Amino acid sequence: MSAENNTDNNTVTLTIDGKSVTVAQGVTLWEAAREIGIDIPVLCHSPRMRPVGVCRMCVVDIGERVLAAACVRECAEGMTVATGGAEVEGHRRVLSQLLLSDYPDHSRREATTGDDALLELARSQGIVEIPYPEEPAGEGAAADDAAARGEDDSSPVIHVDHQACILCDRCIRACDELQHNDVIGRTGKGYTTRIAFDLDNPMGQSTCVACGECMACCPTGALTDKGLAGIRVERKG
Amino acid sequence: MKTLSSSINGGAAVKTVPVTEVDSVCPYCGVGCALTYGVDQAENRILYARGREGAPNASRLCVKGRYGFDYAMHGQRLTRPLIRLEGSYPKGPLSAGVKSSTGAVKAGGIVDYDEVIPHFREAEWDEALEFAAGRLKGIRDTHGGDALAGFGSAKCTNEEAYLFQKLVRTAFGTNNVDHCTRLCHASSVAALLEGIGSAAVTNVVRDVSNADVALLAGCNPTDNHPVAATFIKDAAAGGTKLIVINPRRPKLADYAALYLQIRSGTDVALYNAMMNVIIAEDLIDAEFIANRVAGFEELKAVVAEYTPERAAVITGVPAERIVEAARMYGSAKAALTFWGMGISQSTNGTNNARCLIALTMITGNVGRPGTGLHPLRGQNNVQGASDAGLIPMVYPDYQAVDDPEIQAKFEALWGVKLSPKKGLTVTEIMHEAQEGNIKGMYIMGENPFLSDPDTNKIRTALAALDFLVVQDIFLTETAEFADVILPASSALEKTGTYTNTDRRVQIGRPALHPPGEARQDWELICEIGTRMGYPMHYSGPSEVFDEFAAATDAYATLNYDHLGEFGKWYPCPDPETSEGERIVFDRSFPSGRAKLVPAQALDPDEMPSDDFPLLLNTGRLLEHWHTGVMTRRSEVLHALQPEPFVEIHPTDARNLGVTDGDKVSVTSRRGEIQLQVTVAERSLPGAVFIPMHFREAAANVLTNPAVDPWGKIPEFKVCAVRIARMED
Ligand code: SF4
Repeated sequence: MSAENNTDNNTVTLTIDGKSVTVAQGVTLWEAAREIGIDIPVLCHSPRMRPVGVCRMCVVDIGERVLAAACVRECAEGMTVATGGAEVEGHRRVLSQLLLSDYPDHSRREATTGDDALLELARSQGIVEIPYPEEPAGEGAAADDAAARGEDDSSPVIHVDHQACILCDRCIRACDELQHNDVIGRTGKGYTTRIAFDLDNPMGQSTCVACGECMACCPTGALTDKGLAGIRVERKG
Repeated sequence: MKTLSSSINGGAAVKTVPVTEVDSVCPYCGVGCALTYGVDQAENRILYARGREGAPNASRLCVKGRYGFDYAMHGQRLTRPLIRLEGSYPKGPLSAGVKSSTGAVKAGGIVDYDEVIPHFREAEWDEALEFAAGRLKGIRDTHGGDALAGFGSAKCTNEEAYLFQKLVRTAFGTNNVDHCTRLCHASSVAALLEGIGSAAVTNVVRDVSNADVALLAGCNPTDNHPVAATFIKDAAAGGTKLIVINPRRPKLADYAALYLQIRSGTDVALYNAMMNVIIAEDLIDAEFIANRVAGFEELKAVVAEYTPERAAVITGVPAERIVEAARMYGSAKAALTFWGMGISQSTNGTNNARCLIALTMITGNVGRPGTGLHPLRGQNNVQGASDAGLIPMVYPDYQAVDDPEIQAKFEALWGVKLSPKKGLTVTEIMHEAQEGNIKGMYIMGENPFLSDPDTNKIRTALAALDFLVVQDIFLTETAEFADVILPASSALEKTGTYTNTDRRVQIGRPALHPPGEARQDWELICEIGTRMGYPMHYSGPSEVFDEFAAATDAYATLNYDHLGEFGKWYPCPDPETSEGERIVFDRSFPSGRAKLVPAQALDPDEMPSDDFPLLLNTGRLLEHWHTGVMTRRSEVLHALQPEPFVEIHPTDARNLGVTDGDKVSVTSRRGEIQLQVTVAERSLPGAVFIPMHFREAAANVLTNPAVDPWGKIPEFKVCAVRIARMED
C-alpha cells in the first residue's frame, strides 16, 4: 500500500526489514514486526504488560542518531526499520554479554523449566565467551557487592536469586500492574540495585500473597518455582 | 575469560522428567481460571500449573490455582471402597475431633485416619455398590422415596450434578436433593428468580473495566475471588470508582473511592437509604423504570421511610457517607453491582439481594456495558450445579418440579413417574434426619459436618441416619458417620464441564489417573441407579452433557466440540461463530418486567446480649477452601495458613486482656471452640471474625442455623458469642 492510498488517519504504514505493514496508530514497532512474523528479541517486555524499554535488547535501526527500543517506540508514517544489521547485532551482543558477565553459573530457571530467556538469547547469538569481568570495576564497587545481592529463600513457593536478576522490572509490573498487589519495587543504587519486597523485607515475611505472577513473568533464574527444585522439565510434543 | 559452560545452562545435578501439558480449569473458585498443568505421567503427579489466556483470567492465577494442586496427590486419598465394621455400630463419630468440638484436637486439621480407618474394612467394588444400592432401595421400598435424600456438590461437574439429581428424582423417587448453594447464594437466587426470572449474572467480571462505578457489597474478592479482584483493581487504576461496603474491611477498600463500614446485618437499611436519596435527588432512570420495571411506586413508598439519618442510626455509617455513596452510584453512567456472602448468608439474605436488584433497576444499570448484577459465585461449579438441577424445587434450568406440564416433560425424558412434591433443602434435610424422618442419604463430595451451621446438631443428625453412603476423595468428618464410603476422583482426574461465575462453561480435562481403585463420580452415580433398578448408561461425560443441555434452554446450543479449549458463555445462540453472551437482558428480562420487591430492615436472628456480648462474623481466607479437606492437604497452602484464629479489635482485646497468640475460648448458645487471638483493626469494636476452614476450631460449632424464609440459607455471618481468656 502506498502512502497516498493511506487516507485513513487512524493507521500508519511503515517498512520493516523491507516489508510494508499498516497498523493502527499507537502500535509499537515490536508489535508491528510481530504481525508480519518478525520476532524482535526481548527480555523486559511481554505482551501481557505495559512496555518499559529497560533491557534495550529490542533495539532497532530507524535511521536516527541512536537505535530505538522497539517495545516502546510507536510506529510512524513512512518509517523504515531494520531489525538486524551489524550495529543492531553488535549492540545486542554486548548487552547480552554484559548481563551474562555476573550471571550465576547455575540458573534455576534453566535447571527447572528450561526456559531461561537470557541464556536462550545468548545461544541464539552463538555467544560462548564473556569478555567482561565478573565483578564490577571502578571506585565504590567493592568486591562483596556481588555477594550482597544474594539470595532469599524465605517464601514457601518462590526462590529469589538476586544475582540472576537483570532488573527488567517484569516482576514489578506483574505484581503492581497485573495483580495489583503492590509488593515488589526496587531498592539500592548503582550495582547494588535489587528488587525488594515491601520495605526490603524477605519475601516470605512481606505482604506477598504468593500468587506467583512474578515467578511466571520472570525471564531469568531470579524468581523460580521451589516446587520444581531438582526437576528438569522436558516438555513433550 | 568466563565462558558460557554447560553449567550455566543448568547443568547442576538434576533429574530430567518428561512432562505432558494438559489444558484444564482451576478446581477451586468460581472465577474459573483457565490453566495448564505440567504432568509427569510416569509418576502420576502434577509438577506445575500455569495460567492460560482464558476469558476469566488472562493467564493470571492465584495461590490456590498455581500451587494448590497437590491435594490430589496426597497419601490419604481413598483408594478402595470401605464398609463399616459390625463392631462399629451403633453409629456415631469415630475420631476424638469429631466426637467433641471442644478440647484436645490434634492440630493439622485433618481427620485422624489412625483412629477412623480401623472401623472400616476394605471391600470389592461390587460388594460395596450392591450394599449401598440395596440398602437405599430397601429404605425407599419400606418408607417411601421421601425417606431418602442426596447432597450433590458444587465442586463436581455439570454432568455429575445432572446425573446426581436425576438419580435422586428417578431411582430414589423424591426431590430431596440439594447442595451447598443452599449455604452460599440460595437467597440471591430466590431474589433474582423473583425479580428478573434468572439467577445467573447479567454481566461478566471483566466488564468492570467499562463501569464508572462498581459497588462491592458484602464481598471480599482479594481472598475469595482473587483473580477477579485483579481485574477490579485494574478497573480502579483506570478510573472506575469502587464503593466498598463490608463490616470487615476487605483489601479492596484500599483501592476504593468510598468504603462504608456497615454494622453486620443492617444492609437493608443502608440500601433503602441509598435508594431514598437517589429517588429524592432524581438520579433515577425514569425511562428504564417506565419501560422495564414493575413495582416502583411500592418501592418508593417503603424507601421513603429510610432517610439517611435513620439509616445512619441503624447501620453506623454516617448519613453524609450514605448520601455520597448514593450520589456516586446514582450519577454513574454505568454501574456494576457485585455481591457476596455478606449479603446472602443472612436471615435477611433475600431481602438484602432484593434491595441490590432494586437499586440496579431504578438506576437502569443492567443490560449495557459496565452495568449489571453480579452475585460472585463461590465454588468452581456452583452456577453449573444449580443450573443442572441440584435444587429441591426445580429440575435442570430452574424448571419447577410442581408444575404438572414440566413434570410430564421430565417424566417423558427420564421414563419414570416423578414426585410432584418440592423436596427439602440442606438445612431441612438435616433437621428431618435428626427427627428420624429422613432415613437414608447419599452424599457426594460434600462435608456437611463442617460446612453446615450448628455442628452439634449435625452430629446427632448424621448419627441418626439408618444408612449413609459417602462418595469422596478423602475420609471426611462426614464420612465418619458412613456405612459405606466410595472412593471417587478429584477434579484433576476427570473430564467434565464447570460453569463459572460469569456463566462461562469450560471443559476440565484429566491431568492425573485416580489413585488405586478410585472411580469416576459419574460412573458411580450410574452404578447406584442401575443397581436400584433404574438403568443409567452413558458412553462418557460428553453424552451426559448432551442430555443435560437438551433439557435446558440455557445450554441447549452447546456441546463438547465447540466448548473446545476455552469454553463459551451461555446463552450462546450461535456457538460456531460466537463466544456467547457477555451481557444479557439488554431489552427485556426472562420475567418480562423486573419486579421490585421492597424490604423492611429487620435485625439478624440473634443479637448480642449480656451473656454473649460480641458479634461473630465468619468467612474464608485466601489460602483455604471451605472445610479445608483439599487445601489443608496442600503443602504450600497449609504452610502459608496453618492455624485457626479469632480476629479481635484492639479495643475488645484490651477489655478481654488478651493479645496476639493468646488462647481463648469462644462460646455461643450452641457450643464452644478454643483458638488463638489475632488482634486487627479490620472490624468494628464488638465484632469478631473466625475463618470457617479449621476443624479443630470449627466456626460452625458456634453459628446459628436460623434460616432466611425464602432462600432457606442459614445466618453464617451473624451470631452472638462471648470470649474468655484461657490459662496457659
Ligand atoms: S482465582 Fe479462583 S479459579 Fe483462579 S486460580 Fe484462584 S482459586 Fe483458581
